Amino acid sequence: MTGCFDIFRAYLFADMCWYKNNRWLLFYHFIWPYLMVALILGFGSLFGSIESYSERLGVSSPILFLLSSTVVAMSSISIVSSLAEFVIENRWSGTLPYIMLTPAETPIIFIAAGLPDAIISPLITVAAILPAALYLEGISGGIRILTILIFIFLGMLPLLGLSALIASLTLIAKEESNIGQIIIPFLLLVSGVYYPLEILPSILQFIGRIMPVAYVVEATRLFSKYTIPEIRLVLILIYTLTVMTIAYNLLASLTLKRADRALRGKGVI
Amino acid sequence: MAEAIEVKDLTKRYTSSLKKGWFRREKIIVKALKKISFNVKYGEVFGLLGPNGAGKTTTVKILATLLLPDGGSAKVAGYDVVEFSSIVRNNIGVTLTVEKGFFWKLTGRENLKYFGMLMGIRGDKLNRRVNELLNILGLERLGVSDKFYEEYSLGMKARLSLARALLKDPPILILDEPTLGLDPPSARAMRELLIKLAKEDGKAILLTTHNMFEAEMICDRVAIIDEGRIISLGKVDELKRMVARRVIIDIVASGTPIGIDAIKDRISEMIDGNVGLSMDDKGRLRIRILSRAGSEESNLAEAIKILSNLSIRVNRVRLEEPTLEDVFIALTGKSGI
Repeated sequence: MTGCFDIFRAYLFADMCWYKNNRWLLFYHFIWPYLMVALILGFGSLFGSIESYSERLGVSSPILFLLSSTVVAMSSISIVSSLAEFVIENRWSGTLPYIMLTPAETPIIFIAAGLPDAIISPLITVAAILPAALYLEGISGGIRILTILIFIFLGMLPLLGLSALIASLTLIAKEESNIGQIIIPFLLLVSGVYYPLEILPSILQFIGRIMPVAYVVEATRLFSKYTIPEIRLVLILIYTLTVMTIAYNLLASLTLKRADRALRGKGVI
Repeated sequence: MAEAIEVKDLTKRYTSSLKKGWFRREKIIVKALKKISFNVKYGEVFGLLGPNGAGKTTTVKILATLLLPDGGSAKVAGYDVVEFSSIVRNNIGVTLTVEKGFFWKLTGRENLKYFGMLMGIRGDKLNRRVNELLNILGLERLGVSDKFYEEYSLGMKARLSLARALLKDPPILILDEPTLGLDPPSARAMRELLIKLAKEDGKAILLTTHNMFEAEMICDRVAIIDEGRIISLGKVDELKRMVARRVIIDIVASGTPIGIDAIKDRISEMIDGNVGLSMDDKGRLRIRILSRAGSEESNLAEAIKILSNLSIRVNRVRLEEPTLEDVFIALTGKSGI
């Protein structure tokens, strides 16, 4: 019988082959954080100085913060895309029925299939920005980035559940709509990736608070400040992300089970 | 020993909607399967024959646990496909379409390894099995095992598809049109392999096909399915015997001033028998009339008269024994499947 580990291994293998066979993809992952930061700094300088941005966020190195935020953004995009588009991509390539023939429960297939991306994508992006962090802040910058990486991993777990939830909607949707493409910009907007959540309207702030990415961004801000963050704040973030991991993955499991049964009834797979 | 596949009174309805504008849709209920029953033994190649939309793929999908039936029961390897779907999946190898179903930017070998891992095969066992299958299916010999799937021809894709179905060495294979679109040498190689898998390895093989010649070549038994019902089931010889007291009039003609449907209608009106018409790639018309023994001469004379009235030149006339295709035409009244 196939277990969660077998599915994880299969997708880790497929991801590795994908990078091996598409080397430009790896190059793109390395260059993208820098392009994003350059773009934001370019636009940002039209509205105010880098010092005022730094003051507003309360971070010592705004460039380091922006680089870290880009890791969060890229990892989030990667995980949401890979799971939310999982159904559509596999439908197009004709692989969906064979994946659904895996002798495992559908929620396990979806969640375990997203895990390798949740690990590989942050690792690659961190590897890309680590030289810049070391250059800007020395060893302490490197340590901060690696600490943030731990929070990114923690943040990816509830995001995995949220993405699986989106994937179940795609499974049910009769149209071949790419729900992920709609969700991603919204997710980045309400998570405060590039500016503080507090400046958003209250309704968007509320939505932001139920998004796991917002807490990873909060952790990024905490670790980009002048001083070592209070342990109490760090624990609150860890606790919140743990609760979200359980809640989102449980909800995704239930929805996927229902979606699977409905689809097997309709014969859409 | 239990039957490999047992299907009893299986029914399936689809609800689809017909678009009647931007917002209005009309619900349509399609009865895809109407209480079909059959079984497949280990070591047997069982063919499910029928035209498009007959219910073949619906049957395959139910047996592969990809579709839930509305009524009746289906057991594979002794397990109910609804209640014990995971166990059923462990006992079957499936091909649904041969032209896709793999990742384009992965090689054949990488694709097989990925699907092998999904099936729970680990370590050296997986590498050995993948290498073994690439050899058996001839992909290693063709030198394409390490080429991207996007570079594969249809024949190679079909071989890789069967290799995936065989990864776990399952006792039961469920294959939906495994030779569709293949060139004759590839189709022949595939058929030979399927016979070997059934006769030497004792696997139960259920395959669907349009191809009567193929069914006649490799199937031990066939079920003819049409509009969701099995209209005949038995050994190929038994089915042929059902129309044994009939004779096939095979006419090859050329030069058709009107459409073949119009010719068919005119001949069908005048003779007592089933008529099938087709046009070959050289533009020659082939007319096959399934005639009752004894009336073949009058039917032949009538057909030639109609053709000569239409200024169609008759090139060849032959009387022969019925084939499985003729059985199908006799049973369903359809031709050109």
